[in-house]
Amino acid sequence: MSKKFVSGILGILAALILGALIMLFQGYNPITTYGALFSYSLGGLYPLAITLRNSVPLILTGLSASVAFASGPVNLGQPGQLLIGALFATVGGLYLHLPAGFMIPLLLILAMIGGALWSGIAALLRRLFSMDEFITTLMLNMIADFLTYWAISYPFFDQSSYSPMTPQIDKAGWLPEFGNFNSNILIMVIVFVAVWFIFKRLTAGYEWRMTGQNSIFARLGGCKIDKNYVTVMLLTGALAGLAGGLVVMAGPHRFLKGLGANYAWDGVMIAMVANNDLVGTLLYGLFFSSLQSGALGMELITAVPSEFIQVLQSVIVLVVVAGRGVMDVVMDKLQIKRKARERTA
Amino acid sequence: MNIFIGLINGMISGATPILLAALGGAFTYYAGIFNIAMEGMMLEGAFFAVLGSYYLHSWPLGILCAVVGAMVMALIFILFTVYLKTDEFVTGIALNLFAVGSTTYMLRQIFKVKGAFSDPGIIPIPQIHIPLIEKIPVVGGILSGQNLIVYLTVIAIFVSMYVIFKTRFGLRLRAAGYNAPSLDSSGVKTATMRIWSLVICGVLCGFAGAFLSLGYVTLFSENMTAGRGWISLAAVILVNGNPGGIALISLVFGFTDGVGLFLQKYLPNQFTSMVPYLATLVSLYFYSIQKRKKLI
Amino acid sequence: METIIEMKEIVKVFPPNVIAVNGVTADFHKGEIHAIVGENGAGKSTLMKILYGLEPKNSGEILFHGQVVNFKDPGEAIAAGIGMVHQEILLIQEYTIWENIVLGIEPVGLLGRINQGEARRNVQIKIDEFKFNLNPDDKIAEISVAARQKVEILKLLYRNVEVLILDEPTSVLTPQEIPQLFSELQRLRDNGKTILFISHHLDEVLTLSDRITVMRKGKKIDTVDAKDTNKKDLARMMVGRDVLFLSKREVKKPGPVVVSIENLTYLDGNKRKRLDNLHIQVRAGEIVGIAGVEGNGQFELVNLIMGLSHPSSGQIQVNGKELTSANILERRKCVSFVSQDRSKMGAAVKASITDNVMMTHHRLNKRFTHWKGLLLDYRYSRQFTRQIEEQFSVSMGSMDNPFRSLSGGNQQKVILGRELLLEAPFLLLDQPTRGLDVGSIEFVHETILKMRSQDRAVLLISADLEELFRISDRIVVLSRGKIVADLPIEKATVDQVGYLMLEGENKAIEQEIR
Repeated sequence: MSKKFVSGILGILAALILGALIMLFQGYNPITTYGALFSYSLGGLYPLAITLRNSVPLILTGLSASVAFASGPVNLGQPGQLLIGALFATVGGLYLHLPAGFMIPLLLILAMIGGALWSGIAALLRRLFSMDEFITTLMLNMIADFLTYWAISYPFFDQSSYSPMTPQIDKAGWLPEFGNFNSNILIMVIVFVAVWFIFKRLTAGYEWRMTGQNSIFARLGGCKIDKNYVTVMLLTGALAGLAGGLVVMAGPHRFLKGLGANYAWDGVMIAMVANNDLVGTLLYGLFFSSLQSGALGMELITAVPSEFIQVLQSVIVLVVVAGRGVMDVVMDKLQIKRKARERTA
Repeated sequence: MNIFIGLINGMISGATPILLAALGGAFTYYAGIFNIAMEGMMLEGAFFAVLGSYYLHSWPLGILCAVVGAMVMALIFILFTVYLKTDEFVTGIALNLFAVGSTTYMLRQIFKVKGAFSDPGIIPIPQIHIPLIEKIPVVGGILSGQNLIVYLTVIAIFVSMYVIFKTRFGLRLRAAGYNAPSLDSSGVKTATMRIWSLVICGVLCGFAGAFLSLGYVTLFSENMTAGRGWISLAAVILVNGNPGGIALISLVFGFTDGVGLFLQKYLPNQFTSMVPYLATLVSLYFYSIQKRKKLI
Repeated sequence: METIIEMKEIVKVFPPNVIAVNGVTADFHKGEIHAIVGENGAGKSTLMKILYGLEPKNSGEILFHGQVVNFKDPGEAIAAGIGMVHQEILLIQEYTIWENIVLGIEPVGLLGRINQGEARRNVQIKIDEFKFNLNPDDKIAEISVAARQKVEILKLLYRNVEVLILDEPTSVLTPQEIPQLFSELQRLRDNGKTILFISHHLDEVLTLSDRITVMRKGKKIDTVDAKDTNKKDLARMMVGRDVLFLSKREVKKPGPVVVSIENLTYLDGNKRKRLDNLHIQVRAGEIVGIAGVEGNGQFELVNLIMGLSHPSSGQIQVNGKELTSANILERRKCVSFVSQDRSKMGAAVKASITDNVMMTHHRLNKRFTHWKGLLLDYRYSRQFTRQIEEQFSVSMGSMDNPFRSLSGGNQQKVILGRELLLEAPFLLLDQPTRGLDVGSIEFVHETILKMRSQDRAVLLISADLEELFRISDRIVVLSRGKIVADLPIEKATVDQVGYLMLEGENKAIEQEIR
């Protein structure tokens, strides 16, 4: 447990140092830059609220990727599932008019159905035709991108606007805020706990984890591999779809071009950095969100472009991932030295 | 008739970047590497091509910069997977993300724009007009007048086939993929072969990127590779790496790109843009069905 | 005799804490056949790998022709004149014999193009020189295992090595192919080559070698002349105590038929018959051993019984229950299974020991779950793990440690525990003692015999004829997917079984030549 933690922290530190070097090379001051970054993300209630709000899609797509990768299916379709989930929630929010108490859960469910539908296509293609979900989910991402673009440009287009977007959804579908804090955080926490419980405590989760580690072993042990595969794909698709719905309902309250931006790929990145560990995904999600939320403020103060954060994030991933391998090698070498010393003693 | 020529030329333009990247992928495929970083290598190549062409005022230098940019990615991949022994899949995804982030950042920092950079100062790679051939009816319009890189690509296909199947290098390269411990026991380091395959992949993806930003169009836009690297990966897998097969498949994908443009008259352009990706799904369908029949 | 290789005080430690070679000093003479014997894990393979440059040593010195050498990789060793043939054939299946042999020293022309004609000719010259009877254009995938071994040896002779190291060369051969290998090795020795070979088969070692070095637990016990020693002495040196080669079975009359396999036929994807009309019965309290060279249908048989694939025709029944097309979970209700490869099929090695132990029980035993099988009861699982630890004398640290932190023998004990406590009437064992140390092998055999006395039906697939003869009641020989013999053990002999194992192979090679 602590080994994971240490390598994670070390990795982040190493990446931050690398980032500082890049900044120095360009003539920026790393200390004021990082200072601005973190004060704009964590320094104060308002920044904190924004960071938390933005962490929700990151963590949910991260969970989607973590659960999928740890159970076997290579679901790289979070970007597409997020978009379709967002679309379903938006359309529901445009045409249904119910009191908030019903509206919100209904839209969330629609979002999950959208995401699950999209990942379900990939799952179906795999089950029926043995088509590798690695490629199909990637292709479906691009297709979802174009499909939703069309949807918000034609059938659901807001006639009063100049760029592709839908009208705003019914106010009953807007997620309430408590002070500066958006209730999407609450939903994320509930979902996280539910996913954790399913994955770690239920029999199904056990089978998924064992299948992810060694599918033949699980199959020989009596696990219903095919059924589990479909369930995991649907569940992780729903998670990504939910993220999409929450982005709409907690944010612009409409579907506009570029919605969800990089959240989903960042989620994949987070899952990789966390090595598919659920709690790790949550923590890294919060961390990456603070990086992203502070980016604009950082730019304001120190003129370092906010795009720098994208670079920093991928550097963190590379360093942490490399670090894991290096740690193992170093630990083993230390062990040999120790054993050789014991032998001569 | 002009439509026909237009379609063929569109097919060739659409196929070229996919073909080059897939050829690079073929080398790594034969070497036994799970390389999914072609998308990132191409993107860096595309950016550096514009950078070089604009600031150094020449397209050959632009191509050189593109190759260097893609090679840096390949070298990072080598460092991580060969020396630090990280997982190839994770490294590939991380590198692709790094490419998107770094090119977007550099676009902002160096060219001071967001979204895309387009300027008359970018020198594009020229088209080659072959004097006698271009006079031939019908075929002339296709065989002559293509971008320089297209002709280089054709050469690359044949050179790749020769290298992979007829030379000592190729024998050892494929051995690295078929049975790495066996190759090592023969005194040839598998790691060396894999490093070379990645270098070659970097070079080819650099050319692919240069074609995108200095040939196909003359600009750089964020994430302009738009999933072509993934399609080239699919191409490699579908033909098990064979360069001849890659050429055919790339033409098919390029054709669907062209068909997409053609269909724009009848369908909203978002649907026509989907065509190459749908085509990939369809090819994967045929491939998977055929593979399944063999296993039963 | 001239000493050609000297190894002095060699030490090798594997992380985290395994001392594989513990200060070994040995020397080898030019032009001798020298055997290195020891049980699994004694360090003999590691010692040779160090000599060959496959493993770096932690300390010690090696002298070749009186000069200090330190090969960093096999390439250097081969260049100096030392070559090693590994236990697993390390050839490229997709390439031909000549491609495999010239790989690394290919004759090339312009632009690196390989001179195929020249390569083929050179290989043929070597084949003729050593009378190996091979065709350079054959693909490795298409020739027999014994032929592949010859190609491995040829590869080294092509590079003019003077020392040949062979790691368990007879493990892939049938008893009838072994004499041919021996005469080839003797011919090479008479030609001036030095042969070092690793084995744990004492009869072969005594027949073939000039001198024998015995290793135990990483240390060298002694080096003796073959003519001055015998099996009993060697065994004692290897194990450290007197070893009995007696059968341990008590006399017992088997009960009713439990497992009934009838007319079982299986065609693979290329429509080749992998199993042909198999007829096997196992009774309660009976151990049926299946002998056969690997690749003759054992793998397919296991898959059919476990449900990983379905037969083209025929039936499998356990206690009257039809299993032929049942799903895997249904089969697990009456079949316990110990697979051939622990890490591939028997366990999830990175998961905890508890997680590995729960498998299958979590579906078949209601005590492991609550809420009608929905929620796991970890407390019960941990109790269960404790039970296995005690009953099967497993030495483990915490049960939350990853499965792979256990030694090979302990891993197998845990798997046995998990499978046997399913209390299924039918026990399917595939190479259950492969790679284990003598102590663990003893334990496994005793456990299997205990199951026999508890009236379970045991089907034991093994490549170790000695093991089969030790504990089986009946022996069945599988060759080319057919049963060529089904005898009570008292009526069978090792030679006869070996001959039957090979009989099918010879026929096939004759057909291909025609």
